[in-house]
Amino acid sequence: MKIAIVFGGISFEHEISIVSAIAMKDVLKDELVYIFLDENRDFYHIPTNTITSKLFSTGEYKKSDPLSLKKGTFNKKAMFGEKQLDFDVILNLTHGGDGEDGVLASLFTFNNMKFIGPRVEACSVSSNKFLTKGYAYSLGVKTIDYQYFNKNDEVKVNSYPVIIKPTRLGSSIGVSIVKEEAQLQYALDVAFEFDTDIIIEPFINGIKEYNLAGCKINDEFVFSIIEEPAKAEFLDFDKKYLDFSRTSKAQIAPISTELQEKIKENFKSVYNTTFEGSLIRCDFFVVDNEVFLNEINPIPGSMANYLFDDFNGVIASLSQSLPKKNKINITYEYVNKIQASKGK
Amino acid sequence: MAVKQINYENKNFAINYEIINNSCEKTIIFLHGWGSNKEVMKSSFASHLKDFKHIYIDMPGFGKSSNDSVLTTQDYANIIREFLKNEKAVSAVVGHSFGGKVATFLNPKNLILLSSAGILEEKSDKVKFKIKMAKILNVFGLAGLTKAFRSKDVNTMSEPMYETFKNVVDEDFTETFKSYTNNALIFWGEQDRATSLDSGKKIAALIKHSKFYSYNSDHYFFMKHANDITTKINDGIL
Repeated sequence: MKIAIVFGGISFEHEISIVSAIAMKDVLKDELVYIFLDENRDFYHIPTNTITSKLFSTGEYKKSDPLSLKKGTFNKKAMFGEKQLDFDVILNLTHGGDGEDGVLASLFTFNNMKFIGPRVEACSVSSNKFLTKGYAYSLGVKTIDYQYFNKNDEVKVNSYPVIIKPTRLGSSIGVSIVKEEAQLQYALDVAFEFDTDIIIEPFINGIKEYNLAGCKINDEFVFSIIEEPAKAEFLDFDKKYLDFSRTSKAQIAPISTELQEKIKENFKSVYNTTFEGSLIRCDFFVVDNEVFLNEINPIPGSMANYLFDDFNGVIASLSQSLPKKNKINITYEYVNKIQASKGK
Repeated sequence: MAVKQINYENKNFAINYEIINNSCEKTIIFLHGWGSNKEVMKSSFASHLKDFKHIYIDMPGFGKSSNDSVLTTQDYANIIREFLKNEKAVSAVVGHSFGGKVATFLNPKNLILLSSAGILEEKSDKVKFKIKMAKILNVFGLAGLTKAFRSKDVNTMSEPMYETFKNVVDEDFTETFKSYTNNALIFWGEQDRATSLDSGKKIAALIKHSKFYSYNSDHYFFMKHANDITTKINDGIL
């Protein structure tokens, strides 16, 4: 199987997408075809044997073959006309903007391309933390209490400490913990640099956090191990960055089978039918044995490969179990009937 | 990083800034030079002065703060003053080069100048000739041609920033330095070719309560000598 990895994109997480993409070389045994989406939304075919992060920071990638998107495929220039880029399935590894907000999902769907990654609706409910809250609530999955504000609102915080999060960003970008009123304004200026909307949650120091990744293959859930991620006060961007290049195996969290089951049940509810076709990582909080959804990562850093025993196998089977859209037959029956009844 | 919207003379300025040690009370402000940005200041000073809250500011038209108005040095000072109006414990303002003039206008309790602009430097003959030619061409309505005489850093400037540059370059701050009566620490690069060592000594003579230190280095001397400079700041500010 040939997997085309699409990465980069117009995103605050553009650079970590590059790191994530390169990490795939170490964990996927299949032949990889790298497709880079640059800041001008141009696609390039990056040769797998020469890919390095420096290639992008120096602009060197522009010497690679540009690609044009066609129905069902990417094309590159050939001696005579154009040649199809050869691959079997796309793995969407564009974190944040373009990849997780539905832009690429729409593009791939529109062009009838087979891809592993969240579909448009999955992107909507996972890329915006405010919408995630409502989605989880509708499914009976608990989340931490929150307040929602846009940048024109007067922000009022009743008790500290709190954690302030831009609604649309991942990887802790623009996130701050505020311990007292005096620090609030700066934290708001930080968050609103990145987004027009924010949520504010109480910050619970030392809260237990557990990550579980998984996907649905032929209507059966396939789960990773449950990991308790290492954290300082919270994972900042620099520390999380390491997560994206991570390829070494994680430790299983020492929790009861009962709690493991609870976390898995919550995962299943969240995954629902909405996330079919994607391998996601859900981050949960546990307080007094109660499970709360923190966030859904529909394209987790380095695909959370380090949480799986057989990551390669999971990707291979998932690529055989992608959701199919029923073809809508356009028959013009209705128009014909009207025309017929008018006697024309 | 963060952004604050400032309204000044009915125009909106989005000021990009960053705070370090936000829980400290005593506050120190860092203003970069012309063509520079807050990252240059931050990379030198962020790991020092741990008892201070540091505020690094991209002034309009530099770094990540955009600007499409023609400004004067006084405008810059007014914008920064407006930006800082809720900061209750500003004890010092550090200004490099052009930022030194803005810092002086802010009249802080402690003024820290790093190779500050504000004393007219003798121009080289080549530059004098270029200016004369440009002025003659302008008289003949050939302003378009004079762009060829602009200095290299001017070439990449937007038109409002070029006009701003003309406003702020070659300003004589002799009187402003003289009227600053609080405490000042003045640091200089001995091989500085943008603002000469002589200018530094002049400023030190103009400001009554000042101390002068120089380093064997250029206009960006503070990047290599931050350790010594910050020790002197710590001991020298009131």
